[in-house]
Amino acid sequence: MPIEKLIIASHGTPGARAAEDAALELCAEFGASLHHLLVVPDLWKGMMGDDWLNNAVTQARFGNYVESELAREAADEVERLEERAKQSGISYTNEVHLGKPAPCLLASCEKGGYDLAVIGSPRPKKSEGLRSRMDLEVLVRSLPVRLLTVPHPDR
Amino acid sequence: MVYTKKHPALLIMGVVFIAIAYLAGSGAMGDVIGYLNNKKYVGEMVGMGYAFGIISVVVGAWHLWGKHEEGNADYYLSSVAGAIFILLIAMTVRWYLAPWIAVLSKGLGPVMGAKYLHQVLGLNYVVLGILAGIITVNVFKIPEWAENGVRLSRLGLKTGVILLGTLYSLAELQSLGKLSAIMVGFFVLGSVGMVLVLGRMRKIPTSMGGVLSAGMGVCGVSASVAAAPVVQAKAVEIAYTIGTILIWGVGCMFLFPIVGHLLGLGYIQFGAWAGTGILNSAQVAGAALAYQPDGIETLKVAEIFNITRVLFLPIIVLWLAVWYVRQEGNEDVEKVNVGKVIFEKFPVFVLGFILMFALSSTGVFAPAQHYKGKFFDSSIVKPSKMMTDEQIAKLTAEIDKVKRADRKAALDNLIENRKIVTVEEWGVIRGLHNARVLSKDANKVLKKATKAVRHTAKKIKKFRQWITLLFAFGLTGLGMQITFAAMRQAGGQPLVIGGIVGTTKAVLSLIVILLFVRETI
Repeated sequence: MPIEKLIIASHGTPGARAAEDAALELCAEFGASLHHLLVVPDLWKGMMGDDWLNNAVTQARFGNYVESELAREAADEVERLEERAKQSGISYTNEVHLGKPAPCLLASCEKGGYDLAVIGSPRPKKSEGLRSRMDLEVLVRSLPVRLLTVPHPDR
Repeated sequence: MVYTKKHPALLIMGVVFIAIAYLAGSGAMGDVIGYLNNKKYVGEMVGMGYAFGIISVVVGAWHLWGKHEEGNADYYLSSVAGAIFILLIAMTVRWYLAPWIAVLSKGLGPVMGAKYLHQVLGLNYVVLGILAGIITVNVFKIPEWAENGVRLSRLGLKTGVILLGTLYSLAELQSLGKLSAIMVGFFVLGSVGMVLVLGRMRKIPTSMGGVLSAGMGVCGVSASVAAAPVVQAKAVEIAYTIGTILIWGVGCMFLFPIVGHLLGLGYIQFGAWAGTGILNSAQVAGAALAYQPDGIETLKVAEIFNITRVLFLPIIVLWLAVWYVRQEGNEDVEKVNVGKVIFEKFPVFVLGFILMFALSSTGVFAPAQHYKGKFFDSSIVKPSKMMTDEQIAKLTAEIDKVKRADRKAALDNLIENRKIVTVEEWGVIRGLHNARVLSKDANKVLKKATKAVRHTAKKIKKFRQWITLLFAFGLTGLGMQITFAAMRQAGGQPLVIGGIVGTTKAVLSLIVILLFVRETI
């Protein structure tokens, strides 16, 4: 079955990077374009926790700082994957969203007309990293395209 | 941007408040109130029910049918829905849920000495309010129409602390201030240093060490929020640290009161321990009110510790900023602007607290010579509070133990008059009690005698009630800002180092308090 448009959900974690390798290989093989979805998890909305002692200036400074850090990280990831795609001569586009990974991927797939979605598998237990996993239950129930899950490199 | 949402929620909440007020006031709720044994809240139900009910109905009608345009009126009035949402949850818990749990718990019988399960676990309106907030945000989500107002919980807590200023006397503030400066100073600097040393041993990045040490050392999430931009912490380091502190704080809020009850800690001891050992400042207040839900003596002690901690915040942030610049030593790192750091991090609400304390000392709220918010007057002692024959006999039997002439004279007068007569004698008897010269039983009699001649001024009584309500409101609202998603981020090196430092701090501070802090009246 031919693949013309492929979407990859990646935030640069080891699992997602394994998925990137597979996606780039598939794009090269089928001459497909690569769309990169980067989701900044919405857990950051609650990251001020129950702070009540700080004044508005300090809270705003923290909010702006975190926002700029997340934006910088996202930009780095986009640049990295774009560079890899460019090296392989693959057409690359991207979108960045704040939210939960699974619903964001579903929304992108619904409007994008992709042939295949590629994701990394959840990381093994006890490995470090943010606790923001792709909810496979939500994803596989409603995903309108084929899904390729690439095994984690530590497995 | 227009903040007000066209939604009937506020109007409905207003009707609910008015219904509660009407049913409680008319006696239609008599059976429920009898079963829950919560008659003491009927006044609140009626007063607050009508007041907030009417406000909600008026503003709610404007939310639903009014014309909303961008501006200050829209911004401020939009927050009413969230504030009333918190208040409704907090008061439902205070008036009905907590009393119901108490009834169920009493049905099980005492579980620890004379204490019931809910008392041991500290399941009162404050802790249940925080839990209700946590459940609301994590299970049901905060409704869009309430989002803007939920942030008002911070204002509630700060106002509560400012009003607390009315309840301290100079002597009390001096002694608590000294104790908190020593305890907080030692444990803040100790835990900041310990995190930095452990961090170096475990080879964590400088920025992670900085943000973690502030959180573990000073005042939890608030300190991490203040320090993160200064030490240029990475996003994942912030997430690990805040997750660790939140999970630790919520755990301590439940654990500390249980340990406190098991060890039979007094209010001063528990307040000092919670104020030192619990990382997160919101949970310090929660634990203090959980330990003593029907009074605010523990909260008063704990909040002095909180204030001392927050006063340390600019200093620690400054220290970390200088430390970070030195550690990194490259030109990319921003130079520290001392004045800016101090100015931005200074907790302005502490000035409000000091102002209220100063006003209280002038006698605006209670006679100027009040002690712990209560004034001396021996002419209005209720007959039921006069000393009984049995109590007189207890003191008479031990009078020979008293050697100091002034104490002996004061005790003689107390026995003769069955009450303390002058404020000077009251001071001497208080000293005799605190010196623990007499037996435990006789000391209890002295405590009762000193209490019998101290009275709470009407205004102070009102302040106490408002402070309790503001803390219940504020802590329930703060519960709505504790997400499982944030707590789940606890991990990595911050969890390991935080666990070691947090446990050490909690245990060491408890030992110090048991050894050196004594309950006085």
